[in-house]
Amino acid sequence: MACNDYKLSRRAMMGATSASILGFSIRDLLAYSGTHHEAKAEHVILFWNGGGMSHIDTWDPKPGRPTQGEFNPIDTSAPGVQISEIFPQLSKQMHNAALIRSIAGTQGAHGRASYNLQTSYLPGPNLRHPGVGSVVVHELDNHSDLPPYITISGQAPRASYLGQKCEAYYVAAPGEKDPYLAFPSDITQVRGDRRLEQLAKFNKRFLDKKNDTRLTSTQTSIEDAVRLMRSPALEAFELDKVDSKTLERYGDTNFGRGALMARRLVEKGVRFVQVNRGGFDTHGNNFPAMANHGEVMDPALASLIEDLSETGMLEKTMVIMLSEFGRTPRINDNAGRDHWASVFSCFMAGGGIQGGQVIGSSDEDGAMPKDRPVQVADIHATLCHAMGIDHEKEVMTPLLRPMKLVDNGAPVMELFS
Amino acid sequence: MMRSLLLSLAAITVLIPNAKAETIDSVLSSENGSLGVTKSSVGLVDDMAFIRRASVDLIGRIPTLQELKEYQAWPADRRRDMLVDKLVEHPRFADRWTVFFADLLRLRSNVTGGSALIAHVHRSIRDDVPYNEFAATLISTNGKAGRSPEVGFILGDNADPLAMASVTAQVFMGVRIGCAQCHDHPFDVWTRKDFYSVAAYFGKTRRFESNFTRVVYTSEGEQTSVLWPPEDEAEESERKAMVPSFPFPMIDAKEQPEFIVRYEQLLKQQADALAARDNSPSLDDLLADADGKLEAATGSGINVAVAEAREEINKIDVKASLYKRSEYREALADQITSPRNRLFAESFVNRIWHDLIGRGFVEPVDDFREDNPASHPETLGFIADEFVASGYSFKKLVKSIVQSEVYQQRQVPLGVNELEQEELEAAFLATPMRRMLSESLYDSIVTAGHLFDVKYQTGENEKTIEQEVRVLLAADGEPEQLVTADVQDLSGGQPEMTNQAMAAMDNGGAGYALEDAIELDFDALLEEEDEVELDRMVAKSQEQLEAERMQMEEQRRPRPGMKYETKIVKRTVDDNPRFSSALRMATPAPVGHFVRVFGQTSRNDLGEARDDNPSMRQSLMMLNGRLTHEASRVGSLEPVAKYLTGEKPQLDKAIELVYHEILTRNPSAEEADWAKQIIAEAKTPRDGIADLRWVMLNSNEFRFLP
Repeated sequence: MACNDYKLSRRAMMGATSASILGFSIRDLLAYSGTHHEAKAEHVILFWNGGGMSHIDTWDPKPGRPTQGEFNPIDTSAPGVQISEIFPQLSKQMHNAALIRSIAGTQGAHGRASYNLQTSYLPGPNLRHPGVGSVVVHELDNHSDLPPYITISGQAPRASYLGQKCEAYYVAAPGEKDPYLAFPSDITQVRGDRRLEQLAKFNKRFLDKKNDTRLTSTQTSIEDAVRLMRSPALEAFELDKVDSKTLERYGDTNFGRGALMARRLVEKGVRFVQVNRGGFDTHGNNFPAMANHGEVMDPALASLIEDLSETGMLEKTMVIMLSEFGRTPRINDNAGRDHWASVFSCFMAGGGIQGGQVIGSSDEDGAMPKDRPVQVADIHATLCHAMGIDHEKEVMTPLLRPMKLVDNGAPVMELFS
Repeated sequence: MMRSLLLSLAAITVLIPNAKAETIDSVLSSENGSLGVTKSSVGLVDDMAFIRRASVDLIGRIPTLQELKEYQAWPADRRRDMLVDKLVEHPRFADRWTVFFADLLRLRSNVTGGSALIAHVHRSIRDDVPYNEFAATLISTNGKAGRSPEVGFILGDNADPLAMASVTAQVFMGVRIGCAQCHDHPFDVWTRKDFYSVAAYFGKTRRFESNFTRVVYTSEGEQTSVLWPPEDEAEESERKAMVPSFPFPMIDAKEQPEFIVRYEQLLKQQADALAARDNSPSLDDLLADADGKLEAATGSGINVAVAEAREEINKIDVKASLYKRSEYREALADQITSPRNRLFAESFVNRIWHDLIGRGFVEPVDDFREDNPASHPETLGFIADEFVASGYSFKKLVKSIVQSEVYQQRQVPLGVNELEQEELEAAFLATPMRRMLSESLYDSIVTAGHLFDVKYQTGENEKTIEQEVRVLLAADGEPEQLVTADVQDLSGGQPEMTNQAMAAMDNGGAGYALEDAIELDFDALLEEEDEVELDRMVAKSQEQLEAERMQMEEQRRPRPGMKYETKIVKRTVDDNPRFSSALRMATPAPVGHFVRVFGQTSRNDLGEARDDNPSMRQSLMMLNGRLTHEASRVGSLEPVAKYLTGEKPQLDKAIELVYHEILTRNPSAEEADWAKQIIAEAKTPRDGIADLRWVMLNSNEFRFLP
């Protein structure tokens, strides 16, 4: 209930009212009544890979089959779990991570699949569903000076009916200065502070003459902004303060800097960080492209998991890597792979997830789920479950149509055992 | 052709007044009486507040100093009416209200036919095309995207009959029948069958796309795609073509209410005037002429000849054969826009009232149903009837509301408790506090800061900027080539509407790009002979943008084995920024853009309302953004500059002028002292005025209407 309380469904409102009478939050009550586990995850780092990442060349290698392609599988720190050789450093962290190899997708076109994977819903006319990041910050309070939801190197889905406060704060390129976090360059700190002081006086005089709560809420938003501008937590954005050795470990790439910034942001209390990367639509020359993706992603992801695990942050931070769909087992005439939604994989770690395991499997060519098929909405339900969010809770759209936070789906409970 | 004839007629015909000489104010006052309201109005705003309120509402920005002076020179008893008359004919009137219609119709520049439709809407407002005619063409036209701009409306939802049923009912009648798509309406009378019967009007319309030219158009198919019962209720074999029917209430054909009589008189008057006035040959004239010649040549009967000639003309009408008329949708348009359909006029009046007064008779504005009655049904009915009788003139409707006393009420005075405030505002005896539309806020800052025009002399504002470049070192350690540099363009010229510019903004933009407004040339959009350029632009997909960005990233990435050196390069630019109007931007603006942050919707979801809650992001943009910064800075070409030069600056005059320009009011003595103190604390009087202006632009008083 971090934002837009008035948009809660009536049912949720009633729950909230009774809960507040007893002096407990809904989460406490649910935990109390035994219908709910203790939520471990407090933060999420979502890596969104646009274009549809090949599952066979990453998390679900098929050695000895024609579909295998150019990469060999390698052993990992998780006994019996192999991943593609494009992830040599990450292979040493797999005891901390889990894979789902049996996602049964239904959407093979970029727009629809991307919508589905990021919202759990299918696109329909007249209504846009919020992304999972907006859902999380809608449900959980913000304990940081920083915005609760930050997207890096690309846009996140809209918050839609969850309201403006659940929109992601956008960082175009990690390490680049956001001009809106400080006074314009030719305004000195002293002059800027004096302006703010006079603005408060001016607004106060106006408020004394008027009679409206909307004026006070504008003042609150100014105070929030000033707090952010002055917050020491802003340091999390400033990668030039990071020692060069750490920067090198993550890799001197946008993705590496994004992963590093994501770590620094969750350490400052940010709830949900999305790091975007594209270029996975490998219809041609799949293998050099994937080798390059490996070079970029491997050091970043491995260093992130390693660092989070060392500081204990991994316990309460779920790291998840999603893409639109997988790619065809058949290697096409351009040495590429095309769209393949019937089965694909995802990577998850932390936030209560038991590392070193694999959920489900695909058939011998990575074409169809073999056992334990997992639906797209199940992943969203899992994420909500890890954070103590009731994924079946309903919120109201502007047309007063109740919508569940997640489009059905059930948490993959094995991940937590 | 027909439209422009009608237009010129509208100007010469006299509106037939209602018999009882009622006004909005008299009807509202008597209705309040019968509703048992005992309170009276809190009083009317003063002249300066009125020009500010009316200018922002009607032309989307605060008044300029010059406009203020002109207004103050008019006779006191007539100046408000004169102002309103002037504002509805102002070129920005159409710009401002295009934003209203863009929200209502979910106009998007980046969908097929979208830009042409925006331009069409703009022109229709400018020319005061009757609203019923305007709506009817949107509902019924088939044709090519861009060439027939109206088809943009149904192409916006890909001509999907089910989507169009929801959209049409909600937009044009304020009825949320869309809820009945999946189940009988939970809070209303509409059944699933009603919904499907409306959808059936769109059942034969198809979206076509040529494989060769990528031209998109709509036309009619043979079979309807809307079947009954719905997919989830019956086997495929049991489903039959749904017959269209109109489930909404209509005034019985036997009744002849006064407003319909007046409306019909007006139509007749216009038709008579057309017959009397029109000397130019019409299609009928040409045909008659041809008939005459034919008759002379053949001696055969004229009726046969007319029929044959018409047939010939029909045969060669490419438009008619390729873009078949939709008889279903024409029938639907007739029903919806009929004067006997009160929902059509009432829901529109209610939306305009909501926008101008701050509170609709029916709230939410698109939820007309029995359980949600209007707060003042008689007043709403009266305005709607007058609207119909005026020939559905949008400008007359706006004028009648803005010139009423209801519009001119003050906000509740201090000391009134919340309950009383609600009572007063609900009875329209006090005006609720309203924030400017995001586009109007943007344009008002631009106006206040003299940023529509250059405000510095050439060269006066030269600035040295430093940019970081990476220099690739050759093997011997000597610089070989400059790699890339992000240079912020400070040249201030009018930017072109280009793919790159939009893509850059879509991508979040570098630096302050999220505050740029790139104007569309509406006239050019309609005059384009072929497919409108912007339609082809079809904003790049996220993947394309991402791929391009990755490519740039790759280029900047140091390659193994190569050495780079970072150098600071200095460049001189003349920093004379200019800003364009946000009212004419391609819409929706990119996510994160100023106008989106302040409430412009995605134009994606039906019924999506502007969020006018303040947010931290808004404050960051206002406190630290380039727009407020540049608007605050004092240019030497501005009127205030002359008071700030010389030995003894005329601070009193400067302060008064700043108050007039930015807040449209006089400063109190206390405020003048406070302002002087700000100036005294600054390095120079010009800096001090800049600080004062910055405070005012950021203030609540600026963004809320008086």
